[in-house]
Amino acid sequence: MVRLALKIVGAQGQGVNSVGEMCAKGLKRSGYCVFGYREYMSIIKGGHSSYQLDVSADPVRSSATKVDVVVTFNHHGIEKNLRDLKKGGILLHQTSQWKFRKKEDEAYIAEQGIRVLYLPTEEILRKLKAKPILGNVLITAVVWSLLGQKQEQLHELVREQFGHKKDLLELNFACIAEGFTACQQIAPGLSPTLPTPDPKWKNHLLLTGSQAMGLGIIHAGCRVYAGYPMTPSSPILTFIADMQNETGMAVKQAEDEITAAQMMVGAMHMGTRAITATAGGGFDLMTETLSLTGITETPAVFILAQRPGPGTALPTWTAQGDLSMAIGSGHGEFARLVVSASDTQDAFDLLPVAFNYAEEFQIPVIVLTDKQLGEALFTQEPFDQTRAKLKRGRLVTDKAELKKLRSSDRYDPAAPDGVSMRWLPGSEAAVFCAQGDEHTADGSDSEDAENARLQMEKRMKKIAALKAALPEPVYVGPKNPETLIVSWGSNRGVVLDVMECEELKKKSIGYLHYQYLWPLKTEAFEMLSRTAKRTIFVECSHEGQLASLLKRASGRDETQTILKYDGRPFFHDELRDSILTTLQS
Amino acid sequence: MSLSASEIGAAMKDYASQNPCTWCDGCGNYGIWGATKLALVELGLKPWQVLLCYDVGCHGNGSDKTGGYRFHGLHGRVLPLSAGASLANPTVPVIAFGGDGASFSEGVGHLVHAVRSNYQMTFVLHNNANYGLTTGQASALTWQGQPMNSSPNGIPEETLNSMDFIFSLAPTFVARGFSGNIPQLTEILKAAIRHRGFAYVDVLQACPTYNKFATHEWLLEHCYDAAAEGHDPKNFEKARKLAVDTSKRVATGILYQTEEQPAFHERLKPRQGVKTTPVEEVKIVDVSGFLKKFV
Repeated sequence: MVRLALKIVGAQGQGVNSVGEMCAKGLKRSGYCVFGYREYMSIIKGGHSSYQLDVSADPVRSSATKVDVVVTFNHHGIEKNLRDLKKGGILLHQTSQWKFRKKEDEAYIAEQGIRVLYLPTEEILRKLKAKPILGNVLITAVVWSLLGQKQEQLHELVREQFGHKKDLLELNFACIAEGFTACQQIAPGLSPTLPTPDPKWKNHLLLTGSQAMGLGIIHAGCRVYAGYPMTPSSPILTFIADMQNETGMAVKQAEDEITAAQMMVGAMHMGTRAITATAGGGFDLMTETLSLTGITETPAVFILAQRPGPGTALPTWTAQGDLSMAIGSGHGEFARLVVSASDTQDAFDLLPVAFNYAEEFQIPVIVLTDKQLGEALFTQEPFDQTRAKLKRGRLVTDKAELKKLRSSDRYDPAAPDGVSMRWLPGSEAAVFCAQGDEHTADGSDSEDAENARLQMEKRMKKIAALKAALPEPVYVGPKNPETLIVSWGSNRGVVLDVMECEELKKKSIGYLHYQYLWPLKTEAFEMLSRTAKRTIFVECSHEGQLASLLKRASGRDETQTILKYDGRPFFHDELRDSILTTLQS
Repeated sequence: MSLSASEIGAAMKDYASQNPCTWCDGCGNYGIWGATKLALVELGLKPWQVLLCYDVGCHGNGSDKTGGYRFHGLHGRVLPLSAGASLANPTVPVIAFGGDGASFSEGVGHLVHAVRSNYQMTFVLHNNANYGLTTGQASALTWQGQPMNSSPNGIPEETLNSMDFIFSLAPTFVARGFSGNIPQLTEILKAAIRHRGFAYVDVLQACPTYNKFATHEWLLEHCYDAAAEGHDPKNFEKARKLAVDTSKRVATGILYQTEEQPAFHERLKPRQGVKTTPVEEVKIVDVSGFLKKFV
């Protein structure tokens, strides 16, 4: 598989994202699968951020540690990102009269055959009487020319953005022309190899996990969104808020996460579909509400977007350290479902499913995502609009059926699988109390021992029923693999990419991907890992939280782990090497 | 919102519960309980047409002592819970009940934002100036110099002037009632439930077991009907002055009301002109039209 990687770096606010996004869209439309990876710091201006695009005609679901081209907005990137370049790579910078300050850097450039190119951006813009912001278009044009692409494709992208402003459009076109000319001058005959394009990618979508999740929320029929900003969940709030005039959703930026969670629960109790999203610290505040839904049996959906902890830690980086919290948080014992999205397809598909489970079992559902999934850019097949089904479980809305209800049907301890009838305020029926205290069947307070036992058993019965209803983890690979890789969440893309690399594709390796994490299904894992020579867990946490859970549940403890906990996702060459090393151990 | 009494209106017995009351003799909760049921009946609202939400505290133990759809949630959190419910279906009247402990300490942030958001709901403050259910600790509204459980020397903090606080938030409806004056409280609650936006109803009540200062007798002596003395509830400044100054007498009744301000859900652009409620809109939505911008 031929891959090309391009990395745009600079200070935050300089246009790194805008160039990255424009290049990504153009390349996708030219027939490439693009995977975009963003790194940035928790500041608004300054810092050092990057947007990396890994491009191929075959599916790309991860980033490489080394790239073919680095484009830098400032001189910091020249030094900081020099070593990100592969042998023969190209470094395109915009700092006039730049001289390397370190001898090692010069030696590295010579030894690796790296081409350092200077683009006189300021000069060109001055000549065109264009504002600095147009530097983004100019740089994109240079990259575009370097990649052997056509000017017209860029014209189309620019027209989509500024079509209504004729003057601006002409200036943009002039920048594009200058960019192409400049490229001929500074890099004559130089062109990194892109594979032959595949037209199938042209009509694919290019979007982040957060956007896919937002679309999934809308698709699921969710009508109320209450949130509080916290990276990496904020892009979901932004997306839903930006879409509100088209969707008609009621969106509330609440005063804190407690409010967001409570509003979601209040809205769900009333009978709509509502959701909230937050990161670990915000979820800590929501856990009191999570526990409440355990006893009131109110359907609830929480999105927990992971970033490294503890404390504020690394706000804009990625992690998988909140699995234990998702399954164990909230006081008391109650049934819950924990699922994790791994890519944009999953992010879209899992939302209607999460709402369905929440309503069918009258439980809280936690949908895990992370910064990597939330902010990476995926090339995605257009979403199938027919797959999701609306399932609302034992919700009673029919007038005649409502009339038959008794108050004591609400928390009937004899209900099959512990799931009793549910009906909505405003329905002409016998009324009940959604009760946060221990209660009898109609929601009346009760501290009676026998009643407490029956109600606890009613609620906990849901766990077995839910577990039986959940799909097994997804397995990809040969029937009896010698090596079993187990992972979850956003690691899926990189694991699948690595399994297809030259060094590993002929080996007997299977991948077991956990989408449904709690209640934990162990059958497929036990069967596969029993016959495999080795089982390797790949996780972005220090403890290997899924590995621990499965160890406890299955008793199998001779497993190995590849763990990462520096805020960065696994890069495919890095994971490939780690797997190869582990296989030799 | 307009809620005309329906011809086949509810009766008090519809709101009756088989569960015996567990409040102390002489507790102000009885009066608030009675006035709430009366107000709902007089508005022609049947138990299935309303949602009553309860915080945690002595008043919250009344969640199963009345009719109506009810939700007994967490301490300090009744406001956001009710706000979410009301947002999902603004056609169902939502009444939230909370104590002064929950509302002015644990959940004071929610109170600030509920007032400024002007959610379509009523909030009934059970104001007995202490934490009754946890056996008489001081709240932010406990008077100075009162020995309380956990504050044997009285509170070292200043007492919060709750009305000054509320008025600083630009409320659209502020009333003060007294649990001993059920006819007046009933009228206040009826107006509050009909109000467009967030109705704040501060009900002064006795706590015979733990509040030895603002007793039922003290309240009887000090409370007076402001309307009877010609108070105009349209005048914000006068209302604020009247509400804040309780040094000699305590003004009760509807102290301030304006319906010029739209309620929260009415302010949401995407909801304007929409005939359905979010509860009625749950269905799988085809999002293919939204995908174009990603191609």
